[in-house]
Amino acid sequence: MDKVLTSSINGKSPGKSFLYTLPMFLISFMFISGGRPTFTDPAQTAALLTVFLGMNVLYFLMHYTGKTDKYRAVLFIVFALSLSFTLIKNMIEIRHSMSFSQADLVECKIPFCHLVIPMLILPAAFTKSIIFPGTILGSFASISSMIVLWLLATLVMGRGFCSWGCFYGGWDDGFSRLRKRKLIRKVGDAWKWMPFAVLFMVSLTAALTFIPTYCDWICPFKTVTEFEKVTGVESAAKAAVFISLFAGLVVALPVMTKKRTQCSFLCPLGAISTLSNKITPFVVKIDKGVCTDCMKCADVCPMYAITPEGVRSGSVSMFCSKCGKCVDNCTKNAVHFGIRGVPAGTMKNFSRNLFLFVSFLFMAVFSSGTIIFTLKSFYSLIF
Amino acid sequence: MKKVKVILGISWAFIGLVVIIIMFPGSGVFSEKLAGMSFMKINPRLTGGDVAYKTTMQACTLVVHKPVFDGLFGDRKSGFVQVDWRGKVAEKISDTIDFDHDMKPDFFVMINTKNDSVIFTPFNRKVKGIAISTSTSYGWTIRTGLDK
Repeated sequence: MDKVLTSSINGKSPGKSFLYTLPMFLISFMFISGGRPTFTDPAQTAALLTVFLGMNVLYFLMHYTGKTDKYRAVLFIVFALSLSFTLIKNMIEIRHSMSFSQADLVECKIPFCHLVIPMLILPAAFTKSIIFPGTILGSFASISSMIVLWLLATLVMGRGFCSWGCFYGGWDDGFSRLRKRKLIRKVGDAWKWMPFAVLFMVSLTAALTFIPTYCDWICPFKTVTEFEKVTGVESAAKAAVFISLFAGLVVALPVMTKKRTQCSFLCPLGAISTLSNKITPFVVKIDKGVCTDCMKCADVCPMYAITPEGVRSGSVSMFCSKCGKCVDNCTKNAVHFGIRGVPAGTMKNFSRNLFLFVSFLFMAVFSSGTIIFTLKSFYSLIF
Repeated sequence: MKKVKVILGISWAFIGLVVIIIMFPGSGVFSEKLAGMSFMKINPRLTGGDVAYKTTMQACTLVVHKPVFDGLFGDRKSGFVQVDWRGKVAEKISDTIDFDHDMKPDFFVMINTKNDSVIFTPFNRKVKGIAISTSTSYGWTIRTGLDK
């Protein structure tokens, strides 16, 4: 039985992998094409087919090779780059600039992103209103639709959203893969609690000022999306903070540590997602029956979720983003995707198949619009 | 007990699968439901507040909003009042505003929309200076600081 499980976790035959991919193929086509595909625009058609086939090839390879992380990362990083491209292209077309003006703020035309959600909670509770200058419904990145998508995805995947859905996470995930070896090996474990401090601080300041302070003053991803027009000392200081944090936490530290440092040490939404890991059905488990305490999983974990103490006691902490890196690197198949309530070491293949289907489907559909838009733009330039 | 946990865990995982499958086709309906909830409206500090009155002028409409003092636990000591000129805005805007509708002018404003220069004269001691003066897609908007 163990032999069967081990071989199936390591990969499947091409035919079996194809059978596992078939439901994803059909459902993702339905969702990505909207059920009624129109093939009138050649660039749009080519982009749609490229994205659809590319995604399903990645999903097939996850089953065929038994590896998760590297194929997930391909789509995850492409999603992050495409989102920035889409947003910047839209803004340049509409506003002729990457920066937003006072008029955009006054008219509440700022696209909403999920990182704002933690700052909305207190004002919504006390004032029954939203403190973000966006649109509630019916526009690009409306507040209501983003909250619904994040809420449902987090309910199912927990902090898995940070590795399978967050369109910013791909940036530091990408930079963390650039070097083969770490330049900085040890970072204090206590730093992983920092997002809770940031969450507390930005929730409180946003509630008091009615300004989403994280977006206004801290968010490193302003550098690759949109930012306030530099018109004076204050806006220049903000731009300096955004660029410094991006250079430090999204580029330099991930390159040097091979960890996702922005996600681990700063993101306030990551803190909420971390807490949601306590209730989600999918978890990463360590089978102590076969674990040799080699600590490879703790070494490769990009989120500081696996510690030597955790490995010894057979537990993965709530900081886990279910990226699958530890699972792929475990030579004994001791670390595996599991289901809450199901003992470690059992139903490994079933748990992985179910988790992959759920999380990959979410990422594929969620990312498809922006990737298709990006590809279409390139195809239109070429042809 | 172990079996119950396993059954509950697997059931929860399958519910997760259903949630993800219905999430995208149902997102429009879910978003509308959420948008209909009482707290899903943009705070007046950002929108400029409800409209107090409108006056139709030659080429545009003057829209005066109600003063906004919203705070977390009640009104703040200071806030603002927003005034919009909607429509085709002339090169020079010059108006006397009575935002509280007491038939006494509260401030006078003259804006050169070509070079963004503003001449502002308050007649009400509660009115502070201009906080925002900007062109918008619908014309021009100003926000003036206000004490309660």
